[in-house]
Amino acid sequence: MADRTIIRFEHVTKQYDDDPAVLNDVSFEIERGKFYTLLGPSGCGKTTILRLIAGFIEPSKGKIYFNGKVINNLPANKRQVNTVFQDYALFPHLNVFENVAFGLKIKKMKKSDIEEKVKEALRFVNLAGYEAREIREMSGGQRQRVAIARAIVNEPEVILLDEPLSALDLKLRTEMQYELRELQRRLGITFIFVTHDQEEALAMSDEIFVLNEGKIQQSGTPTDIYDEPINRFVADFIGESNIVPGKMIRDFLIEFNGKQFECVDGGFHPDESVEAVIRPEDLQITTPEQGKLQVRVDSQLFRGVHYEICCFDEDGNEWLVHSTKKAVVGDNIGLTFDPEAIHVMRFGETEEEFDKRLEAYEEAGHAK
Amino acid sequence: MRAKRKLANVYLIVIFVILYAPIFYLMYYSFNSGGSMHDFKGFTLEWYKEVFHDTRLFIIVLNTLVIALLSAAISTILGVIGALAIQMLRKRQVKNSLLTLNNVLIVSPDVIIGASFLILFTIMGIKLGFISVLLSHIAFSVPIVVIMVLPKLQEMSPTLVDAARDLGANRWQVLSKVVLPFITPGIFAGFFMALTYSLDDFAVTFFVTGNGFSTLSVEIYSRARQGISLSINALSTLIFLFTIMLVVGYYFVNKKTGKSNGMGVRGR
Repeated sequence: MADRTIIRFEHVTKQYDDDPAVLNDVSFEIERGKFYTLLGPSGCGKTTILRLIAGFIEPSKGKIYFNGKVINNLPANKRQVNTVFQDYALFPHLNVFENVAFGLKIKKMKKSDIEEKVKEALRFVNLAGYEAREIREMSGGQRQRVAIARAIVNEPEVILLDEPLSALDLKLRTEMQYELRELQRRLGITFIFVTHDQEEALAMSDEIFVLNEGKIQQSGTPTDIYDEPINRFVADFIGESNIVPGKMIRDFLIEFNGKQFECVDGGFHPDESVEAVIRPEDLQITTPEQGKLQVRVDSQLFRGVHYEICCFDEDGNEWLVHSTKKAVVGDNIGLTFDPEAIHVMRFGETEEEFDKRLEAYEEAGHAK
Repeated sequence: MRAKRKLANVYLIVIFVILYAPIFYLMYYSFNSGGSMHDFKGFTLEWYKEVFHDTRLFIIVLNTLVIALLSAAISTILGVIGALAIQMLRKRQVKNSLLTLNNVLIVSPDVIIGASFLILFTIMGIKLGFISVLLSHIAFSVPIVVIMVLPKLQEMSPTLVDAARDLGANRWQVLSKVVLPFITPGIFAGFFMALTYSLDDFAVTFFVTGNGFSTLSVEIYSRARQGISLSINALSTLIFLFTIMLVVGYYFVNKKTGKSNGMGVRGR
């Protein structure tokens, strides 16, 4: 359905002078009422996308659509989006009420209406009664909420959040993650959230765009991206992973570490070189005889929820294991895993090709 | 340790006494009925009376104040615009060269500025007097305002402007509702600096005043050359007190506006 789409990027490139492009031929669609996350390391172009949507910068090439209309040259103050900035960007000379009322006052709204709306917005972010406070009297988390209230009070169709949680401590950050997600559900408007924190992205999003070097590497739901990363970058960036080179003997049979294992991926050429990903939590420790892999425990860290055990096999490949059971450093142990735990990645496969292959072999699987 | 501290304090006190002694000496003899600056014969307010009855002097004081206030106000406006323009420049090289040009004007000797203005005004055929003095005062005050306002602008996070635009403010509203309030302390500081520079300028004014127009510093200079009259002492005392009042006033303004600064969490 076309009208579910609110923002569309069509082959958008952003380039400053003769420097390499910050954003390189990016196309995607954003649907109404969902929580999106742009995830990637710093310098990957995620903030550039946000600034393009907000209207602080214009694309060098390509088109940006908002509600079906091209908005390439529409200035920021005429756009139906509001931003929550990384440093909050609250106006220091105004108090909480005046900060939140800023946008409404510019729109020349009636005074009584402004008062009502600001109060409601502050109630929404649990800051009722803080109207007369000065910004400098507010804590980091409270400033964060003022910034959110200032954005939602304008009733925008899209709210952009630029790493808004990065300045908060861990506990507050986790709390705010819940609050933001809850807020988005209650308001029902589109959130586009920028972060470099993969846990944050996995916890909050309906849909994640993983970016690197100015390109979208992969997009999908958090489980899609976690379970089926498309390439080494995504596998490595999202969560921890063991990545080993391997060879597809035929569909559903992979060879690595000199052994053959059953797996659930298909659609490959026979004897194609690939990479296999196994998440550390999918590896179980067992005796060397029962194990599919034999490794030597090199080091061990207690992480609270689990032990992070670092092992090496005979070929020198590193294997990271998350286990609730302790291992003994220096011991030889066996590692075992299910066929489903192996995820096979083709070299240089694009998202489109990946999806196509997935569909093809799933159909083939059903046909059997 | 303690002895060292004491020594440092003594040093400081001595320096300040030496710096202020001539002023207090001058103030002391402004009350001398003897009419000279060596023997103190008796206390009198006669010299002050003379100052207050001198209508020519009164007009000159008014001139000086009008020049100072007008030039400070105009140069503040120009200086703020200049600082905004410099801040907005993208190219670092252009920015730095403009700043350097600005700073050269501040450090270059008044005599040279005064002489060059004299040449300029004569070539352009501008009559020396109120206008020429006002123009030259504005000219040497603008760089001072720029240098006072610019740090405030640099302190301001660029996301504040983005945020205002994001909330629907047009360019003018961004300026009037966000930028100007933020840099107000800098604007005040610049205004007061321009005011004091204008009030006590001698060299530049000396070059560009014509007949029939004079400011206080030039007038005191010419009177002091004619011979000693203690009314000059009285006048100097009054100016000194006025300056002290300005400084105290500036301190309070700064303290009041300074409170709302130094805020804003800077994420990384």
